[in-house]
Amino acid sequence: MEVLLGITGKDFTLIAASKAAMRGATILKASDDKTRQLNKHTLMAFSGEAGDTVQFAEYIQANAQLYSMRNETDLSPSALANFVRGELAHSLRSRKPYNVNLLLGGVDPITHKPSLYWLDYLAALAPLPYAAHGYAQYYCLSILDKHHHPDITLGQGIKLLTLCTDELKRRLPVDFKGMTVKAVTKDGIVDIEFDDDKVVKSA
Amino acid sequence: MASGYDRALSVFSPDGHVFQVEYAGEAVKRGTCAVGVKGKDVVVLGCEKRSAMKLQDTRITPSKIGLVDTHVCLAFAGLNADARILVDKARLEAQSHRLNLEDPVTIDYITKYVAGVQQRYTQSGGVRPFGISTLIVGFDNGSKIPRLYQTEPSGIYSAWKANAIGRSSKTVREFLERNYKEDMDREATIRLAIKSLLEVVQTGAKNIEIAIMAPGKTIEMLPVEDIEGFVKNIEQEKQEEAAKKKTGRTPGQGSAAILTRTQDEPGDQ
Amino acid sequence: MDTLVAQYSRPAYQQNNALAEEEQQDLLDGVPGASNLSLKFAMPPVAHPSAWLRAVSDDRSNPSCPIKIAHGTTTLAFRFQGGIIVATDSRATAGNWIASQTVKKVIEINSDLLGTMAGGAADCQYWLAWLGMQCRLHELRHKRRISVAAASKILANLVYQYKGMGLSMGTMCAGVTKEEGPALYYIDSDGTRLAGNLFCVGSGQTFAYGVLDAEYRYDLTTEEALELGSRSILAATHRDAYSGGFINLYHVKESGWEKHGFSDTNPIFWKTKLEKGEFSNVTSSFSERV
Repeated sequence: MEVLLGITGKDFTLIAASKAAMRGATILKASDDKTRQLNKHTLMAFSGEAGDTVQFAEYIQANAQLYSMRNETDLSPSALANFVRGELAHSLRSRKPYNVNLLLGGVDPITHKPSLYWLDYLAALAPLPYAAHGYAQYYCLSILDKHHHPDITLGQGIKLLTLCTDELKRRLPVDFKGMTVKAVTKDGIVDIEFDDDKVVKSA
Repeated sequence: MASGYDRALSVFSPDGHVFQVEYAGEAVKRGTCAVGVKGKDVVVLGCEKRSAMKLQDTRITPSKIGLVDTHVCLAFAGLNADARILVDKARLEAQSHRLNLEDPVTIDYITKYVAGVQQRYTQSGGVRPFGISTLIVGFDNGSKIPRLYQTEPSGIYSAWKANAIGRSSKTVREFLERNYKEDMDREATIRLAIKSLLEVVQTGAKNIEIAIMAPGKTIEMLPVEDIEGFVKNIEQEKQEEAAKKKTGRTPGQGSAAILTRTQDEPGDQ
Repeated sequence: MDTLVAQYSRPAYQQNNALAEEEQQDLLDGVPGASNLSLKFAMPPVAHPSAWLRAVSDDRSNPSCPIKIAHGTTTLAFRFQGGIIVATDSRATAGNWIASQTVKKVIEINSDLLGTMAGGAADCQYWLAWLGMQCRLHELRHKRRISVAAASKILANLVYQYKGMGLSMGTMCAGVTKEEGPALYYIDSDGTRLAGNLFCVGSGQTFAYGVLDAEYRYDLTTEEALELGSRSILAATHRDAYSGGFINLYHVKESGWEKHGFSDTNPIFWKTKLEKGEFSNVTSSFSERV
């Protein structure tokens, strides 16, 4: 029951991931960070099979950073998304595929256009204005369909995200221990303070 | 005398030489000069930059100073194309180290790695040694101690307070030996690096490249205008000194340096 | 040279680890197809060794399986102001059979790193000893102690290479270094690796969590912390049939780890009950039973 959410706006991309690391019936950690920074303005969030997720994300991270060092320039979010898709497609046809679902968000270093990419373990890639993985899709996409606009500000984006997480707190049967929220803007990636202790009462 | 023994790389000559490695050393001596100087909390790399030809697009002419990781900087003397490969290997290792050990490489570690690669290419069949010496500088993660290392084609590595490699490196090293002071500040360190390079670079600021590394920061390339400022200042000082010496009648050291330069400057390659 | 190039262009996660690449390559020379595994093991002469192992050793789906791997444990470790407390029980079970009551489940990787053992006893013992070797090699090569982060990652990367092949481990790595302070990592055979303040692992983990979570604070004194670790294991040995025997207690500090006894649970249980009035559901006299 991991939650991944992504929202783009006028000049930013928001990425949010649940903080709980679960194994069986136990929450092993309530402050897990399921995101990795690929370069100055690209962030990737991941969920899926234990072990695979971090191994894959850090492998991608290392390659993205290696590219930046070798070429003295960063790959754009779209280039990275397509690279990641290629790696997943390759892995899917190997003896032991990675079972990882991803959201990749960024802001293009040149055009400053925000973007969000949805990838699943079957190596499907879709650029979207807002996206979710797991059970969160069933609750949040309808909310986002209703309230999202491509030219919202960061403040409005965070409000929209709160709307989504409130609903998840209300209806998801397990506690996902709040969300790590990060915003990608043209100036880089910033951590967003997000109220995890808010109690949401059911209707 | 050597014919027959210096063909295969990994074969000793009867008197214990591995000629290919020594030839690689020659390639280094023909490369443009690079210096590294450690200050109190800064370390500076300086390079002689070959002047571009009239029709060359200088925007894509690769620099002799490169970043290995955000906190590690490398300058080389010797064959440019060989350096590209070696730097690439070092960059890969730096990322691999981050991935596997969760820590960025130490300057010591990456130097040993680079030297290790160079050594490997002196002992395996079908390969040629890297025709480059490198100066590797930077600060370890969380440390304020400047580091400066040198590697050679044989795979030898060593640590320095200040050093020079490449063409006329002997002249420059001797100059550094005479003028190096402990705990120099940023200005003094840059100045010494430029001044030492001016011993062998005739054409001044536009043929000098300066990179500065400071703790917790990535590389900073000194703008040409700033280098020009230093050069002017240094030349002015030299003139004043020369004027003083003329009256005092002591042989100037500047002319001695020019003498050595013309001596060990071999044909361009 | 091609093999050399291939070795470096391979994704880093497939490399054994950056440190031991060369050495391990030496060990692997002449073992085709094994180049991405750490050491050469003799394999059972069947078509699918990992599937075969699963079929023959999974006593949950097949209670009469011929190989019973030693399982069942309670281990815990937590960070606090004075370092890290590591505590375990000492029972090894194979199915319903108590194979031993005196197992050392805290593995001394070296004088300042500890590992704990849950899951397959042999897997933990072997790979933590192997980790000790890697840590020593790191020390010799780099002239300084390995960080706990790096050590735990070496182990996590290793078990990840064997993912799906039958390894069964749930381990914690604890150590205190100058750079990191007290550092604690959880690693399991899925390849999960987590840094944290507090972990309990094994069949008795839930019981230990119950006691530990309620009274845990980072600013515990060393005495309080040792007592809490010991009491949490006691709670688990009392409720979990697969945990028991002795309480093995360690305190890790920057100067290295310190052992605080290998004590029989039985007298501790009665002492706790009679002196503190806990475990009130257990009677101590026959007359009360009527």
